[in-house]
Amino acid sequence: MKNIFYKLGFALSLIFIISSCEVDEVEDPNNPSLGSVLNDASKAELQTLVSGLEARHRAFYGSATQMFGSFGRELWAYFQSDARFVADWLGIGLDGVTYPDFFASGGTYITPYLAVKQANTLIDAANSSTALTEQERNGYIGFARTIKAYQLLIPLMQQFQNGIRVDVNDPLNPGPILSYDAALQAIRDLLDQAQNELNGSSFAFSLAGFDEFDTPESFTQLNRAIAARASLYAEDWPGTLTNLSDSFLNLEAGAEQMNVGPTIVYGEAPDVNNPLFYPPDAATNTIVIVHPALIEDAIPGDLRVENKFFKRKEAVFNPGVTDADGNDIPGEYQDNRWASNIAPIRFIRNEELILIYAEASAKLDNTNDAVDAINLVRNTWEIGNYTGSTLETDLINEILFQRRYSLWAEAGHRWIDLRRTDRLNDTYIDLRDRGSIFNQVSRRTSETNWDASN
Amino acid sequence: MRKLYRKFQVLLALSLLAVGTVSAQQFSLNGKVTDSGTGEPLAGVNVIVKGTTIGVITDIDGNYNLTIPGTEGVIVASFIGYLTKELPVNSTTGTLNIDMVEDVTNLEEVVVTGLASSVKRSNLANAVSTVSADELLGTTDPQTLDNALYGKLNGVNINANGGAPGGGISVQLRGISTLGAGSSQPLYIVDGVYVDNSTIRTGRTQVSGASSGQNATTQDNAANRIADLNPEDIESIEVLKGSSAAAIYGTRANAGVIIITTKKGKAGKTKVSLRQDLGIARALNLQDFDDWNPDKITAFFGTGERAEAELQAYLQAVAEGRITNWEEEFYGETPLLSNTQVSVSGGNEKTTFYVSGGLRTEDGILKNTGFDRYSIRANIDHKFSKKLDMSLNSNYIRSSTQRGFTGNQNNTGGSIGYNIAYLPSYADIFPDAQGNYPNNPYFNDNPLAIRDLGVNDSNVDRFIVSSAINLNLLQTDNSLLKFTAQGGIDYISANSLVYFPEILQHQQALANPGDVMWGRNDNLNTNWQAFLIFNTNVGKTNFNTQVGTVRLHQSVENLLTRGRGLSGGQTNLRWATVQSIQGQFDQTVTDVGIVAQEEINWDDKIIGTVGVRFDRSTLNRDQDKFYAFPKASVAANIANFDFWTVNNVNQLKLRAAYGETGGLPNFGNTFESLTPQLIGGSLGGQVSVRGVDPNLEPETASELEFGLDASFFGNLISLEATYYIKEVNDLILDQVPAESTGIQAIATNAADLENRGIELALSGSPVRTNNVNWFSKVLYWKNRAEITRLNIPPFTTGGFGPALGTYLIAEGLSPTTIVGTPGDADTPGGFTMHGDRLADFQMTFLNQITLYKNWELSFLFHWKQGGDNINLSAFLWDDGGTTPNWNGDDDGDGIPNGEDRQREWISDNNAGVYIQDASYVKLREIGLYYTLPQNLTTRLFNGLVERVKLGFSGNNLFLWTDYESYDPEVSNFGSQPIASNIEVTPYPTSRRMFFHLNIDF
Repeated sequence: MKNIFYKLGFALSLIFIISSCEVDEVEDPNNPSLGSVLNDASKAELQTLVSGLEARHRAFYGSATQMFGSFGRELWAYFQSDARFVADWLGIGLDGVTYPDFFASGGTYITPYLAVKQANTLIDAANSSTALTEQERNGYIGFARTIKAYQLLIPLMQQFQNGIRVDVNDPLNPGPILSYDAALQAIRDLLDQAQNELNGSSFAFSLAGFDEFDTPESFTQLNRAIAARASLYAEDWPGTLTNLSDSFLNLEAGAEQMNVGPTIVYGEAPDVNNPLFYPPDAATNTIVIVHPALIEDAIPGDLRVENKFFKRKEAVFNPGVTDADGNDIPGEYQDNRWASNIAPIRFIRNEELILIYAEASAKLDNTNDAVDAINLVRNTWEIGNYTGSTLETDLINEILFQRRYSLWAEAGHRWIDLRRTDRLNDTYIDLRDRGSIFNQVSRRTSETNWDASN
Repeated sequence: MRKLYRKFQVLLALSLLAVGTVSAQQFSLNGKVTDSGTGEPLAGVNVIVKGTTIGVITDIDGNYNLTIPGTEGVIVASFIGYLTKELPVNSTTGTLNIDMVEDVTNLEEVVVTGLASSVKRSNLANAVSTVSADELLGTTDPQTLDNALYGKLNGVNINANGGAPGGGISVQLRGISTLGAGSSQPLYIVDGVYVDNSTIRTGRTQVSGASSGQNATTQDNAANRIADLNPEDIESIEVLKGSSAAAIYGTRANAGVIIITTKKGKAGKTKVSLRQDLGIARALNLQDFDDWNPDKITAFFGTGERAEAELQAYLQAVAEGRITNWEEEFYGETPLLSNTQVSVSGGNEKTTFYVSGGLRTEDGILKNTGFDRYSIRANIDHKFSKKLDMSLNSNYIRSSTQRGFTGNQNNTGGSIGYNIAYLPSYADIFPDAQGNYPNNPYFNDNPLAIRDLGVNDSNVDRFIVSSAINLNLLQTDNSLLKFTAQGGIDYISANSLVYFPEILQHQQALANPGDVMWGRNDNLNTNWQAFLIFNTNVGKTNFNTQVGTVRLHQSVENLLTRGRGLSGGQTNLRWATVQSIQGQFDQTVTDVGIVAQEEINWDDKIIGTVGVRFDRSTLNRDQDKFYAFPKASVAANIANFDFWTVNNVNQLKLRAAYGETGGLPNFGNTFESLTPQLIGGSLGGQVSVRGVDPNLEPETASELEFGLDASFFGNLISLEATYYIKEVNDLILDQVPAESTGIQAIATNAADLENRGIELALSGSPVRTNNVNWFSKVLYWKNRAEITRLNIPPFTTGGFGPALGTYLIAEGLSPTTIVGTPGDADTPGGFTMHGDRLADFQMTFLNQITLYKNWELSFLFHWKQGGDNINLSAFLWDDGGTTPNWNGDDDGDGIPNGEDRQREWISDNNAGVYIQDASYVKLREIGLYYTLPQNLTTRLFNGLVERVKLGFSGNNLFLWTDYESYDPEVSNFGSQPIASNIEVTPYPTSRRMFFHLNIDF
């Protein structure tokens, strides 16, 4: 029996050994934790968040250009693999009303809010860091808040009268959905707040893009340019001119001057390609097509047509884009603006500021300033001085016409411009594709659900 | 922990008190055991003295010798496949020959029910389905193990993801047990090893553009790795379907457990078996795309310039005799299938062995696709002494799979099916004399070039090794204390290559033509367990006590590298202009569990079991916390009681079982992290879109199962009826906060779900004569599921959004409810209800008929009634004008059918157009075999060969369905708890036909 108990003891201890083995706590082996940057971040960690914000900031641009561009018939997204890129985006059969979680609309809603989340995280991280001087801290915060305000404009433009949330810092306790006007005001307030923070700050971080807008001073000019756009949307004409005066507005003719502005940059993988680049003449059915009305309506000799639109040797067809007779509409022109798939994009340019200046001036009856600004653009693209009527409505029509060509496929100006000037109708929108015109995109289910259950 | 061991010590001490003392008086007994039908001796029969641990095994000639204490007793003879026989003996008996009767209804079969326990089927309290080697492969030659299980298991829904060679099958036991957090697939355990059944990423999704982004994993159309197992090595499969049966497997058992036991050698003559299957495959159900003619061209392209050009192209094709049936062109191959299996088994009383080698080579019905598997196995069992034995099972497998390009794609043309949906029969896309493939004007790429030049290969090298020891620590006449330990590893080294050469049309349309994705994967599972088992008899009652611990460790290292802008014909990454890491993903998980179980058997009349398992896992938010999973069951064999006198009812068992199991959160759901993104040379850290719920708990399922088992007329007919209620609580769902917060998902315990179902099995031998032996089995099962609680708003999930049909999760509804446009404010979630993918019921009908001893005919029908699919193949075919009835006009409105449907979809905004009933009847298996008469075999081969068996068979030979695509069984997103049964031009299913030759030496 002793022998037996010996063995028994042996077996028991074996069980003990096996089961008492320690289990090591498992942490994410693949990524740094969020907690590490929110708890007294170093400058290196803050730099990671800054670059992350730049990456989030650029992500909306392709989607906004394609979807808003389709809404405003600047272009057609001939992406044959999914019929909804034309069927739904052109509102064929939808009678001008989208549905909740509208097809491929997250890129102009969820995506910009990811940048907002990133900006809020950067602000929190900078606030809790002990590695910074006050000037440096303000630099991070002013930078983040400016980008946040810019990004909030995108879902607001998509949702329009549905309004959007602006206070979104706590995922389980977000602020209310503000009306269009209130949200726009909140965005302008953010920009003003950021301007104050940038004043006297220093940038302890580096930026991959933004070109010459990477110092507190020049970045403040960018902040004011965005503020000018926001105040134009808010129809605050004097405010628009004030903001422009502190921005990088340069009232000078010339293609080079027109093109001054901050960049978002692209690269080869693991970076991201320029989303608007398509090799010329590629034999494909996945390509953005210039809406033919832009070719037909152009003033002969307009350099913008030559610069921006490339006539393909062979047209592209999409079975979903057909005319009244049911015939496929050929896609004859493609985007010609990008030298390569890593060409940077300037997300707000002096050319827009000049046209904002023209519009605010026209609204304030500074007719001469308005016409001068229009002519700056017209002469740059060699279509001669404006000779039409100087009645406000005619000037606005002219400005919208110039904006249509100057700002073609730059994240959806045409649709937004026509809407804010009450021109979003088939006089201004060519509906040869038998589609319909959306005023805005339906509120997303997640937002409706949240408010319904909280 | 301490507390638990103190309890264990007390229990052990109590049990030891029951040990009796050895009696001095004894007598001896000998005899021969034979088959009552054939009279042949039976080797390996267990002959024991009832109520004791004294027993022997018959030798090769069926003889036994036994010394029995006391002056009288009862002898119990038991053997797999035979009814147990009890005979009274006394000191004067001397010689006792025993006739054993074949167990038609498998009452005597010993069923593995847990980590260290097994129970005779007639004493089971659960409906445990068992599949024997013969049932698995006896009729035909399915490609993979999961394929071989079709229709053979009650309450189990098996659904192939598509027809591509090399597997890819989803197995759901008793309905839905998770909504996506835990594993939807059962736990597979092979000889005690937790085997990996994951689907390994290949990155095809990214290369073909099926979905963009870093984390899109589910459209690779790769196989789940259970496909690696060689079905030929399997002795039996036991399926613990619900929580009540699987509770002892604890925190990973919510989706059930499939226990696989491989073959072992038997003492005696060395046996060599050879199996050679040769076959062909053909597409099962091609759709026969709509013809093109001038009328159709007008209907589809209109009358403009484009239409005129198409008409010219058509006329030219007609003139050149070039009208092509594209389905036949692509899916019309007749590949050769070959399966060679050799096994050698044998041994002596101390050591037995089973060694096997298998070689399977199969091509697909699409060129450049196929599946090869090489497997080698050695199972060795050795008895050191009466007290100590050990075993070692080892298996090496190499699988290589070429699955080609089918299914979804975006903007690449990198899917044959998607591509040819838009390809009219007159299209001229054939390569010229120099082998150059012309551009395809109808889509992004030339599908012939995709087929001939694209590569989608994956190779798996795999070792599954397990070892066990059993040590008898204490043995008396009626008690046994045993220590048993078992451990094993499952190591997978997988690599994959997905390649589109630079000369492809769609690659030429990119800035950096040529795309190659290399995948590298190392998965290692190790698990071990140690148990103390104490078995004792007190009077007529048997007590079996077990305590033990288990430990499981899993590690995964995955690396996907990508090169774009390739130098001509090169696939090496160094020859890529743009070299990048598509993804690197490491995962490590440890589970630890403690188990205790008590089983009490009163004279095979009433059998009760209670048990509990405590588990912790590093997948839980609280990695240190132990969760308890209790179980209890009772079975009453009414017919074994003395009062039971109904002659023709041989067995009547009532049973009830309750048990709980768990489901773990997905790896990563408990971390809040940054994700990397390069921008202009700076590496950014982006806040992840996933938040973490600090109170996250594992999912738990609890199941109550009732059943009645009965057998009649000398066990010739048996009935098994089961009803279960399985509740899954605290289901982990991604709570979607307002998306404006930048957080898209927080895994949280948000829902409860209930499955109720019945399983009926009726089997028997309607005819049993000398010349005709007919066995027949009918299985019927149905399952109803309902979300009983949802504390987040109803939401849609899976598929391609509401316009194309998606699933709705809402309280009070089935979790597999299909919804879609148009909007419907009265339905939770705001869309119209279009169907449910859950079947109304399923039924199978198996028949095995033996004629004149030498002929065997068997066939298996499978009927699935109801259940809907989201058929996006039909959607694409209508869009491209290829649907078989596109140009008909069924409603006589002058508009072609295809156009009608597209208009209904687009203008009426009705996703329901492409949501279709997916009922079917399949002839899963049919086989006819002939065994050469013994004397002929002896004469022909001069006694060298023992048995020769020849046969023909078919697998998935016929399909009857109204469903408008290749196969109602389909899943574009692979194995999914919810979002299955969505199709996007999958690889068509094939029927398989074989000639078989089996030789035993």
